[in-house]
Amino acid sequence: MEWTLDDCEGRTTVRMVGDCDLYSAPRFKTAMLRKIEDGARRLLLDMSGVRYLDSTGVGAIICILQAARKSGGELRFSGVSGSPRRVLEMSSILPLMKLEGSMAREARPAGGYR
Amino acid sequence: MKTLIIRKLIVDERNELFDAQGMRYVEFPSDFGRIREYAAYVLSECPPAFKEGNLLEQQLSEIIKNGIKHGNRSDPRKKLRVWYDLRKRARFIVEDEGEGFTDLDAWNDFYRSRQTALFNEDFDGFLALASYRGPHSTPDDGGNSLVAALEYWNGGIIYNAARNKVGAVRWFTGGSD
Repeated sequence: MEWTLDDCEGRTTVRMVGDCDLYSAPRFKTAMLRKIEDGARRLLLDMSGVRYLDSTGVGAIICILQAARKSGGELRFSGVSGSPRRVLEMSSILPLMKLEGSMAREARPAGGYR
Repeated sequence: MKTLIIRKLIVDERNELFDAQGMRYVEFPSDFGRIREYAAYVLSECPPAFKEGNLLEQQLSEIIKNGIKHGNRSDPRKKLRVWYDLRKRARFIVEDEGEGFTDLDAWNDFYRSRQTALFNEDFDGFLALASYRGPHSTPDDGGNSLVAALEYWNGGIIYNAARNKVGAVRWFTGGSD
């Protein structure tokens, strides 16, 4: 999986493309944790280019959620669909993810994650 | 009304899921870098309706990964043995040569706490519990594969007594020829 960063008006959009799996997710997690550590407080992870997500990818998302929470930042997601969305549902992680766009309507908003 | 559902990993040596009669068989060296390739090989003749996008490949990869990484500790001298049957449903038996999943009970406790926190909408508590750390866990492990597996394998996911062999089955609406 590859990703690009776009900093605009105080928000960093991360466009993920490819398979977020046991081989790529650790590298992605490290990069995102560093970004948060370096002061990024508003992050949008655009997952519309992710077609495959496994448990290592889910673990990476959990770590990023925890780091964002700890830093007091805002972390949102967009383009969560297909098999990756199903994996997040089965892992019970989806309710913690603040979703943007039309996909957000289907996710359970109660409580959620800021 | 909300319902709290707590599933469990169970051990049942004599479970019918371990009956390999009529199943196809393949074995792989424990090469961590080829886990997804192994899953794709096993599923090369899988009915498309069973694949559900790439969900079946992903779930099978998780079982293979657990066997190679946690069971065989990626020791290339150790084999991973896979039995599979893709008629009418997706059924697998995967056996490694490791010491077995000795933390199974601890993982069940972790899962119970995790799901209870989610049910109570205790999101901070849930996040704190969201990753499992066993004695052999690496920073990239989180126990999440088994959380999803309990839901995905709707016909059961069972461990043998030595806890180094898993039987799993998923049924599909409408079945298949």
